[in-house]
Amino acid sequence: MHISEGLLPAKVCIGGYAIASLITWYELRRIEQQPNPTAGIPKAALLTAAFFVASSIRIPIPPASVHLVLNGMLGAVLAEYAFPAILVGLLFQAVMFGHGGITTLGVNAIIMGVPAILAARLFQLRHFAAKYIGIRKADSLFAFLAGGGGLGMTMVMFFAITIMGITADIDAGAEQAAILALLISHIPLIIIEGIFTVLLVKFLSRVKPEMLKINGPSRVGNAHSTR
Amino acid sequence: MTMDEYANLDSLMHRWDARCKLIGLTTLIFGFATVNSWQWLLLMLAISFSLYMLSKLPLSFLIRRLRYPSLFVLGLVVVLPFVSGQTIIWQMGPLAVRQEGCLAMLLITGRFVAIMTLCLVMFSTNSMLTTVKALQWGGMSPVMVDMILLSYRYLFELEKQLKTMATALRLRGFKSHQINQRNLSIFVALAGTLFVRSYEQSEQVYKAMRLRGYQANGRAVSTESLSRDLPSLVLMILCMIVGVIFMGVAVW
Repeated sequence: MHISEGLLPAKVCIGGYAIASLITWYELRRIEQQPNPTAGIPKAALLTAAFFVASSIRIPIPPASVHLVLNGMLGAVLAEYAFPAILVGLLFQAVMFGHGGITTLGVNAIIMGVPAILAARLFQLRHFAAKYIGIRKADSLFAFLAGGGGLGMTMVMFFAITIMGITADIDAGAEQAAILALLISHIPLIIIEGIFTVLLVKFLSRVKPEMLKINGPSRVGNAHSTR
Repeated sequence: MTMDEYANLDSLMHRWDARCKLIGLTTLIFGFATVNSWQWLLLMLAISFSLYMLSKLPLSFLIRRLRYPSLFVLGLVVVLPFVSGQTIIWQMGPLAVRQEGCLAMLLITGRFVAIMTLCLVMFSTNSMLTTVKALQWGGMSPVMVDMILLSYRYLFELEKQLKTMATALRLRGFKSHQINQRNLSIFVALAGTLFVRSYEQSEQVYKAMRLRGYQANGRAVSTESLSRDLPSLVLMILCMIVGVIFMGVAVW
């Protein structure tokens, strides 16, 4: 889900940087408003590295295999650190493997980061739902929505920006049909990402519940500052 | 998987001050990104490859780095000659090759190769730490700088841990050829263990950093070792001029 160098016109790349800078500035401001802003940095940095490495795990879907994106899960665990973490991860991927790119870094950060932020908010709603359907069901339901929804949003943005930005000479009807067809063909991946997120949330609830238990926007930083 | 593989070579690009290099090459890269006419492709590629040759980075390194992402780009642009444009240059039944689509394919591929080559020059001729110092000098937030340095520091360690766990799984007879509930649970345990370990390790890292005087809003790395010199400034200005010319041509 990375837009490569050279695919998008420069004005889209610059626009992407402008919006990504604005979101980063806002998220960094939220981090700096915490009592101890640097407290959550090691945790966010190590989890960024862990998500980066975990996304290299190949899930076999015969005849091929897929890599997980995990941006919804990253948003749920890292909260306000998620967008800067995605920016850092994308910078590494662009520089180390050539996945994505430097000119498209802003656009890719929006494609991956905005769904992560929304998935984090969505995942927090499980506490309200737990009153009606129980904690376990609420955790599973909202983990699926955060994981699958995060990837779904990423895919919609990725296909729309790629197909509309690649060249102006394609018929608008053909563009819409292509976006829809690509999206439908990727629904199994969205479901697998959702199921994987549910199982991962269950695993973390069992093994390290504090990674998910701390609520509110300052979860990563508060985990340290409350010590 | 490292950015410092060729950071210790001796070339003009390696000696170029990291800050000047970042500004000069970024302007040039964005200049290349604005190119929307195939007539400028050759010049753009010539400039990129010249700078790459000046960097003394091996050609095999460029090919290795271009190979995998090229497949993604080719997968996207290979359909353009059939769906983009009006001017048909070749037709067989319902299949028509269009001129505008062919040119768009050439343009995108050319831009991709040129920009990727410049990115390699920009990031592979310095150590990661020097690049981060230049980014901090350019105004990057200390929070971002800390996150980049710490993530980079532990990336390799976590990758090694994942490889060890994967090897242990294989030695116990795990075969991941198909997807089923059992296999998916194993993949979840693999990823989950990695997250839990990194989470626990981060607590130790934070304590160690606190003991060494780590505090909020400090400068993450010292930029004192960066030294600006006249050739670096000249090279930066040259790159900026060329970049702006490319932008100007695109606007004109």
